[in-house]
Amino acid sequence: MGNEDISDCPINKRPINIVFQNYALFPHLNVFENIAYSLKLKKLPKILIQQKVLKILEAFHLENHIYKLPSQLSGGQQQRVALARAIVGEPDLLLLDEPLAALDFKLREKVLLELIELQEKLKITFVYVTHDQFEALTVADQMAIMNHEGTIEQIGRPKEIYEFPVSSFVAKFVGTTNILPGRLCNLDEAPEIEIADLGHFKVDISQKKTWMSEGCEMVMSIRPEKIFITKKITKNFSNHLIGHVHSIVYHGRSTQYNIVLKNGMRLQVFEQNEEHFPQEVIDYDNEVHLYWQKENAVLLER
Amino acid sequence: MQDRSSNLPFAIGIPALLWQILFFYVPLLLMVGTTLVTFAEDGSFTGLTLQNIGRFVTPVYGRVILSSILLGLSNTTLCLLIGYPLAYFLAFTGKRFKNFFLFLLIVPFWTNFLLHVYAWFFVLERNGVVNTALIHLGLIETPIHFLNSIFAIMVMMVYYYLPFMVLPIYSSLERFDKRLIEASLDLGATSLETFRKIVLPLTRRGIVGGFFLVYIPSFAEFAIPELMGGDKLMFVGNAISHYVLGEGTGSLGASFTVISCAILLLTSGFLYWLLEKLLTPKQRCDA
Repeated sequence: MGNEDISDCPINKRPINIVFQNYALFPHLNVFENIAYSLKLKKLPKILIQQKVLKILEAFHLENHIYKLPSQLSGGQQQRVALARAIVGEPDLLLLDEPLAALDFKLREKVLLELIELQEKLKITFVYVTHDQFEALTVADQMAIMNHEGTIEQIGRPKEIYEFPVSSFVAKFVGTTNILPGRLCNLDEAPEIEIADLGHFKVDISQKKTWMSEGCEMVMSIRPEKIFITKKITKNFSNHLIGHVHSIVYHGRSTQYNIVLKNGMRLQVFEQNEEHFPQEVIDYDNEVHLYWQKENAVLLER
Repeated sequence: MQDRSSNLPFAIGIPALLWQILFFYVPLLLMVGTTLVTFAEDGSFTGLTLQNIGRFVTPVYGRVILSSILLGLSNTTLCLLIGYPLAYFLAFTGKRFKNFFLFLLIVPFWTNFLLHVYAWFFVLERNGVVNTALIHLGLIETPIHFLNSIFAIMVMMVYYYLPFMVLPIYSSLERFDKRLIEASLDLGATSLETFRKIVLPLTRRGIVGGFFLVYIPSFAEFAIPELMGGDKLMFVGNAISHYVLGEGTGSLGASFTVISCAILLLTSGFLYWLLEKLLTPKQRCDA
């Protein structure tokens, strides 16, 4: 950390504090004592402890709950106490272990924005562990995606991770995507992917990877929102597919269509609901045309 | 309907309550009565007296009561010092062997109390296990006289009362959220500080429970001192049994019982206050 290796440093000496998933507040101590815990251990003068704790209590809007025990607080308040307790000692790094997991959805979004604001104000590095990709994409400056074996698959800015995943695990884990397995061909002229029973589709290999070779097995990942869905024939797209609407899920701001292709594969397509009264209504079992630009598909090693 | 169902818990309690009144409170009142009240020849009430109590205000009885307090305290302290780490081990590192260890802890209760005592005779006597082992190891040359001593009494007391201390502490440690230890260490506390500030206060209920489960009966214990200590030492329990079983001294026994109960209540109250004070963290109110 910094330039120091702290692997051997005992946990109580590390300049890192943790916000635990279940908050781990001390149930027998009131809010004040919980927050003052680390300061008292450092044997700071009483007045200073009091000043620091009161200041942070105010910043977290907890000044009316000083003498309450954790069990007397709501989930959101407990979460703020946990956060206050972790940052009052001014650590160099704050580790947040799924800090919002115990909050309900509406509150989660609010606290998330507060966290971002706080991080900008404090200028402390936050390491934020989550399995919620929405949270991760929202808060992160840098993201690391760890797979089930615990090895890191990709590190990068949220946009890089989302738009240019390096593996199908990352592509599938962060957001939703359609994965189509196929074979790379025609590398030298107009590169294409050949998908069994569906045909050839143009691909973009301007960023050529070392594993790419003529005829190699690969997968193509296309985000559902990158596919244009319509009942009419349209031009100006590099790729075209025909399918049938299997089911429709209405999300409010967008609609999700689950399409069955002629080889039995399924695709998800998102359509923004831009208009009150869309000009064409796509319904169950309709035949639809799907279009996408070759640059919007990501090619990944099988 | 509502009324009936809300009275049900009380109704269920009635037999136990009757039992308790008949065999505990009534005798207790009778005992207090015979101690504090004087009767005429024909059995009529003549007045109150402190004479029966005054009879026991002598250095001899003072010593008996004091040694009982010390017996209770030292046994309870030893049980706590041995029992807490044991309970800690069971709750935190026992894992899947937990139930097996608990089983081992309870097993001795399956045998009769007297058998325990005789077993300890075999262990501690002149040609017993301990002496033989020590001689073979060359640590001593002549056997040590263990039996009929304070040492023998304490060994047997701790042996017998330990589970009463371990079980309540174990159950409070079992419910203790282990992540609080992690949180405390993360906030800069050493293991010792964590134990003192977090683990001890949060297992207070178990400690206090175990403390009195051991203290109260060991204050009045008479079988173990009698069997393991010979007749050298006199404790409250021995004095009472001596009077109650003796010819025509039943009322003396009753009086001394009343005195002992009062002392037990007083010392327990004080110890409870002390334990709570030691184990409850100060909550700052001056902020």
